[in-house]
Amino acid sequence: MKRRSILIALSLYTSLNFAQKIKGSDTVLPLSQKEAEMYMKANKLNKITITGGGSGVGLAALVDNTTDIAMSSRKIKMDEKMKLQDAGRAYKEITIAYDALSIIVNNNNKVTQLTREQLEGIFTGKIKNWKEVGGEDLQIVVYSRESSSGTYEFFKEHVLNKKNYATSVLSLPATGAIVQSVSQTKGAIGYIGIAYMEKSVKSLKVSYDAGKTFIAPSMASAKDKTYPVVRPLYYYYLNSLEKKVKPFVDYVLSVEGQKIVEQVGYVPLK
Amino acid sequence: MKIIERLLLTLVFTIILPICSFTTLARAQNPLETPIDTLASKVNKMADDISFLKKIKFSGYIQAQFQVADSMGEKSYAGGDFPESVDKRFKVRRSEFKTMYDNGKVQIVGNINISQDGITIKDAYGKWSEQRLKMFSLTAGIFNRPFGFENTHYIGSLETPERARMIQVLLPGERDCGAMISFQMPNASSFHPLKLEAGVFNGTGNAANDFDYYKDFIGNIHWLSTNKSEKLKYALGVSYYYGGVRQGTSKVYYMKADSNGIKTFVLNKDSTNSGYGAIAKRKYFGIDGQISLDFIFGITTLRAEYITGIQPGTSSSTTSPSTQPNDDTYMRKFNGACFYFIQNIFQTKHQIVVKYDWYDANMDVKGDDIGLRKFAFTNGTLIKTTNSADLKYTTLGLGYIYKVDYNLKFTLYYDKVTNEKSSNLSSVGYWKDLKDNVLTIRAQYKFQ
Repeated sequence: MKRRSILIALSLYTSLNFAQKIKGSDTVLPLSQKEAEMYMKANKLNKITITGGGSGVGLAALVDNTTDIAMSSRKIKMDEKMKLQDAGRAYKEITIAYDALSIIVNNNNKVTQLTREQLEGIFTGKIKNWKEVGGEDLQIVVYSRESSSGTYEFFKEHVLNKKNYATSVLSLPATGAIVQSVSQTKGAIGYIGIAYMEKSVKSLKVSYDAGKTFIAPSMASAKDKTYPVVRPLYYYYLNSLEKKVKPFVDYVLSVEGQKIVEQVGYVPLK
Repeated sequence: MKIIERLLLTLVFTIILPICSFTTLARAQNPLETPIDTLASKVNKMADDISFLKKIKFSGYIQAQFQVADSMGEKSYAGGDFPESVDKRFKVRRSEFKTMYDNGKVQIVGNINISQDGITIKDAYGKWSEQRLKMFSLTAGIFNRPFGFENTHYIGSLETPERARMIQVLLPGERDCGAMISFQMPNASSFHPLKLEAGVFNGTGNAANDFDYYKDFIGNIHWLSTNKSEKLKYALGVSYYYGGVRQGTSKVYYMKADSNGIKTFVLNKDSTNSGYGAIAKRKYFGIDGQISLDFIFGITTLRAEYITGIQPGTSSSTTSPSTQPNDDTYMRKFNGACFYFIQNIFQTKHQIVVKYDWYDANMDVKGDDIGLRKFAFTNGTLIKTTNSADLKYTTLGLGYIYKVDYNLKFTLYYDKVTNEKSSNLSSVGYWKDLKDNVLTIRAQYKFQ
């Protein structure tokens, strides 16, 4: 009995000690979860724990050395690079997939498409009613992610042209919460990674050429690069941990791993 | 058979019934409690405890170093003067231990420094951040003066072992006791990179009580931003110091040119006995800028800071006083600057730093005019000659840093100090460059 307890304790210790921790972007979260699930099926001795919180949270954890891999839906910032440098920590950036950032509205909303300029107007507070963009007379309720989110920053930079979100924008802590809120609010609008797309909400076609062509977010439009709001998704890890994390990262980049990327709803690298 | 019945009855009355009645009683006392509820309540309590503990942070660092000076008893700004018979020394330059409570609204900080020179308070302040607009904060206590770049950054994060000579002379100890308001737009604003700080301070530094009624104003405006590709970070700031020092005597000397255009200290005409205890103005204007670039061969940082102004001092010193001076006051126009070049070698643990700084304590007099005694003033004007306190110093620092990890870094740094020369100061050795270079080998241990 005693020997059995020791063996259980030892195996627990070993599995905890060699468990990989992955933290960061909520956009990358479902992909990492699925990849880890399949990877652990094939490699039963390996244990991977994954938590979200946002790209900023993951990269801060990398600086603090409290995660093995940081998931990010944006590039590492200069401040984060300098913190890593101050700690004498070299890192690697790996692009694992692409995401077509989708603009979602309530299923009962008649609007089906928006230009980038209209989106900028809505999220910066200049456009307040759906009738201003061809919809019914209904107040627009804007949902956004929190500022620690990489999606928040990507959207601000690429869709809002670095302009500020309106103060009336409602910040939510997770992408799932945006889907839920938009599905329950008729006048709502929000943005999500394409993998979070559900039938309870509707994605809009987007135009980046002042309304000449509107493209819907999809695997095909992201692959052929006609959809304008596509972004890379990243893994960051410390060089010193390469031996520990590389087998999993290689798995994500493998043919099998990239199939999972597509299954989850993101765009594979090739 | 009867024996079996008796045994069964005994079993029922002595063991089973008491257990059943105890269980029923226990349920009656706490009818809804299940093991999961108990666990949940324990987890909740632990979560509360952890949440409280996460508000308390400990951090600190120890800098242990070995130094080799050019000469015995060298006067030095590379960690303090060497004792008379010492040209090599081990020293704990700093060991700071900081405790902080931060609940997002209020921050309370206590920080002490322990070294061979004793124990000193480095920080003791509270900071309150308003929660409605999330733009203003009020800090009160002992904390860094909001002036310039080097003064506002803790030395453990800088690449050189010490701050530039001008900072050590003008703003010794870096901290002061006072109150400050800060303004910064929220994260989402495009004006978030702009930060304004303005405060009123004693002007005597962190280790002393105030000795005059006059309070010093310090303010700065800084802009800190990065470019779109996150490969360039830049900052620009301007700072202003407007304060004063209570005069130790009625006599105040200013620099004035004689008929030959050579300047020396001349007693201020307005100075009378009523001038005793008056305030001699202390005014600094500073500008600083930094730029960091992420190249393929590593992050490069360039940094520059320039300060100019008027410094009240004594005949023999321009260092800002922490106690009431007892000597006559000498007003000097000064300037100083420092420039950094920092290069990380690719993404490795190796870094090199080159720093050049100067401090000209008295801009009105140069070279052999310092200490000159032939002046042509009429009407018996009282004059005082300039001296070694009026010399300009330049320091070229070359350093190599090896960052073992987050907790430990080694620094090898050489300070080449050059003083201004004057043939009129030959009696005190300043006709040539003094032997006052210093080599520092430092290990810095840090925890957070």
